Amino acid sequence: MGEQPPKLAESLLRWLVGGRDADAVSGDLREAFATRGGGRLWYWGQALSCIAVRMSTHRRMLPGLGMDFQYALRTLRRNPGYAVTAMLCLALAMGVNTTLFSFLDSMYFRKLPVPDAGRMVLIQRGDDEAFYPWRDFASVRDTVRTLEPAAQNTFFDDIAIDRLSQHATVMMVSANYAKVLRIGAGLGRWFSPDGAFSGAAEPVVVISDHLWKTRLHSDPAVLGRRIRTLGRTLTIVGVAPPGFRGTVPPLAVDAWVAADGVLSSASGLMMELIARLSPGATPRSATAEMRVVATRLRAAYAGNPRLQGPVHIEAASGFRVGARGSFLAMLWLISAVSGMVLLIACINVANLLLSRAMVRRREMAVRQSLGASRARLFRATLAEGLVLAAGGVGLGIAAAYWTQFAIEWAMTSLPETYYQGVGLGIDWRVALVAGGVGLASAILFSLPPAFANSRNLQAGLRGEDGPRLSRQREFYSLAQVALSLALLVVTGLMVRALQRVQNIDPKFATDHRLYIELSTTRNGGKPAAEAQLFTGLLERARTLPGVADATLAWQVFPGTGASCASISRQEQPRQMRSNTVEPNYFETMRVPVVRGRGFGMESMPGAPAEVVVNETMARTWWPGEEAIGKRVWLGCEGEHREMAQVAGIARDSKYESLSEDALPFYYLSRRQAMGNGYFNLIVRTAGDPYEWAKPLMSLVRGSPDVTVYEVKSMEHAVASSLWDVKWRAGLLASLGLLAIALAGMGLYGVVAYAVSQRTREIGVRMALGAAPGDVQWMVLAHGLRITGLGILGGLLLSVAAVRLLHGFLYGLSPFDPVAFAAASLAWLIVAMLASWYPARRATRVDPLTALKYE
Amino acid sequence: MPAAYIGEFEQIVLLAVLRLGDEAYGVPMREEIEKRTGRHVTVGALYATLDRLESKGLLHSWFADPTPQRGGRSKRYFKLLPKGVEALSAAKAMLDRMWHGVRLKRESDG
Repeated sequence: MGEQPPKLAESLLRWLVGGRDADAVSGDLREAFATRGGGRLWYWGQALSCIAVRMSTHRRMLPGLGMDFQYALRTLRRNPGYAVTAMLCLALAMGVNTTLFSFLDSMYFRKLPVPDAGRMVLIQRGDDEAFYPWRDFASVRDTVRTLEPAAQNTFFDDIAIDRLSQHATVMMVSANYAKVLRIGAGLGRWFSPDGAFSGAAEPVVVISDHLWKTRLHSDPAVLGRRIRTLGRTLTIVGVAPPGFRGTVPPLAVDAWVAADGVLSSASGLMMELIARLSPGATPRSATAEMRVVATRLRAAYAGNPRLQGPVHIEAASGFRVGARGSFLAMLWLISAVSGMVLLIACINVANLLLSRAMVRRREMAVRQSLGASRARLFRATLAEGLVLAAGGVGLGIAAAYWTQFAIEWAMTSLPETYYQGVGLGIDWRVALVAGGVGLASAILFSLPPAFANSRNLQAGLRGEDGPRLSRQREFYSLAQVALSLALLVVTGLMVRALQRVQNIDPKFATDHRLYIELSTTRNGGKPAAEAQLFTGLLERARTLPGVADATLAWQVFPGTGASCASISRQEQPRQMRSNTVEPNYFETMRVPVVRGRGFGMESMPGAPAEVVVNETMARTWWPGEEAIGKRVWLGCEGEHREMAQVAGIARDSKYESLSEDALPFYYLSRRQAMGNGYFNLIVRTAGDPYEWAKPLMSLVRGSPDVTVYEVKSMEHAVASSLWDVKWRAGLLASLGLLAIALAGMGLYGVVAYAVSQRTREIGVRMALGAAPGDVQWMVLAHGLRITGLGILGGLLLSVAAVRLLHGFLYGLSPFDPVAFAAASLAWLIVAMLASWYPARRATRVDPLTALKYE
Repeated sequence: MPAAYIGEFEQIVLLAVLRLGDEAYGVPMREEIEKRTGRHVTVGALYATLDRLESKGLLHSWFADPTPQRGGRSKRYFKLLPKGVEALSAAKAMLDRMWHGVRLKRESDG
């Protein structure tokens, strides 16, 4: 015989066609190959034609597949416990992953909630939005053909309704905003689209549905009411449609102010453009046109760096490019963790299927000897996996639907309105990915049992591969222990980091201290009158019963004032943090002045201004010298600069966050510096501080010229500054618990199965006089052996995984022994619990029954 | 019950089985068809048709013992069942009826 037919093609043919058919066909091909004297290409063509015919949906695959699915469904129905366990495992993991993906989706792909959102674009310059002076907007709008642009600008300002203020996100937009977006109003109207506002026209505002419902209690007579924001009193003309939170996700906008009503047409305020592509225009043609506009503007504003650099058009979807970065590190961490949870769940299901495979060895061997091909048995197992995965995905999406509510609820409880614009809805993209993940995991967890089922089962029938399959399952369980241990270590580190940050002493008093933010409504009031107003409030607060002391500070932790200072007039000013306080601030807040003196109550006319610097500033600005009496120049470049003298040195404390390193900082006296219409009134109370919140509130609201915000305690301010650390620790802790629960179930399954397989052996041991304790220990040791090896692997894995935590640990060592030890200990306890029940069952074995068992 | 309708390639395959008699298995069948029709036939297409005809009950197949010259693989032999013969003759009769009295133009021109 000459040439041999290509081996790969032949084995493919035999594997995929299977059974005696494959035998006959490959025999035919061999014979023909020999008579025609070779032709490997010909052989491949023939073999593939057979495979294609066998695989074609019309012939064999589909009817067979239909049967496979029917059979899988029937099997699952007969073993509901097994099916439900597997599906729940998958559903939990898929729910987590679906939620995660819906977050990713909203970050990168989700379009704005407006009609025909695919045509909405932003004009970008580099990674940032391109800005245009307001005075040029009208000409850009009227000349550009490819785009229909609207101008917008986002402000973090307060909204005051009935003189009670709250922090908010406010947008200033051109009058054609709603027309460009093609959105209607939930109530009332948007601005007149032609922007026909005469100078005398009353400035108007549209508020969000959210603000209307939460602050105005869905008042049907809201139109015509007034609110204050951006330094103006504005009339509400409309309420935005429910669910519309603006065009700058993840920010949630609370109010839209018509720029035409509040800005003069010559204003140079920089606005960004959001636009709709005109019919027939493409992003490319729009880019070309906007570049021409940009060139014209560059020539007109040669000195303005914000107008330099080429512009381009980008689809308006997902978060602002700039906002994406702040989420990335966290997303990496959560993706890795939820991927691991999914992997653990898949291993669980693979383990379940493997144990079923062992039970069904006899059935599989019978089917094989009756002529079922390996491919057929393989497919049957895969079908079972697919049915389980489909159930898992379905339940998972339902689970994600609920977790989404939970997370959205958690987000609205966050102190930042910043994250409230994150949409977690499940759209087709999310469902598609969830389905894809389900399919991929079905294949992942069906492969091991499918291979086990389609192997030569002669050995299986004789029970020879039992130990091998058991070892395989032990290995999976070990991998689960390792993976979940790594998760536990990560969780432990996060919790430890949280603990560490919480235990940091802010170095100022927080107990029994309430504060309330105040700002004057008097526009352009005289500084002296303003100072008098605040002094009056301060003095009246001191007379309240239960108030031991009161003081004023421009900023309260974790806020600080941004400013600049330098040692000499010639030196470049350095960026600094500062606060403007009432002279008694240092006593009231227990931030002692360690050297020199604090501020005097009255400023001497003509005397230089005084500053109190903190220890770090004294040490780093005048190393080795006495700081008191030294001069500093206050004010940033281009601003009015003023000389001041160091009067005293105050102890270091925390200013912006508990985890910050020592920071140079200085204080100015409220009696000397100009106020800007805004102060926090801090009171020290005798008893429970919240008992005094009401009288304090009615006191400040009694003054007609101030708007007030909520009363808060200093303890609350410190605690809520940790919200992101807490949030992260909470999220990871819940995922870690989920992981350990899944892995614990896996371990239980393996140990319990081992006990059931060894019933006979245990019976013999007991009959020969083994004590129940010995038998129990034997089973327990089995579980612990797997766990021990898993912990070892998990510790190695953790050492690699903690790299992801960089930046989340606040100075805690990533190899913190407590976190590592606690995670290992937790797993040992879980392993004991998971093995305990099977161990107890093992001792209940009646030797006689066990011996009759087989 | 009227005889099963069969397509052209099915007729060809059934005829090949008839012509080969005791030697009707994959290799000679393909050769027979390629030789007589001048058409190229893949093994996949041939077996697909054979399986279909078997499931319609027109054919019967069995596996013979493996022979050494085929690398120890068995042959699958085919034989027509009465229903197959019926279907074949019905197909022929149908075509004959259709051809009856028809003269193609080109023939008369020639």
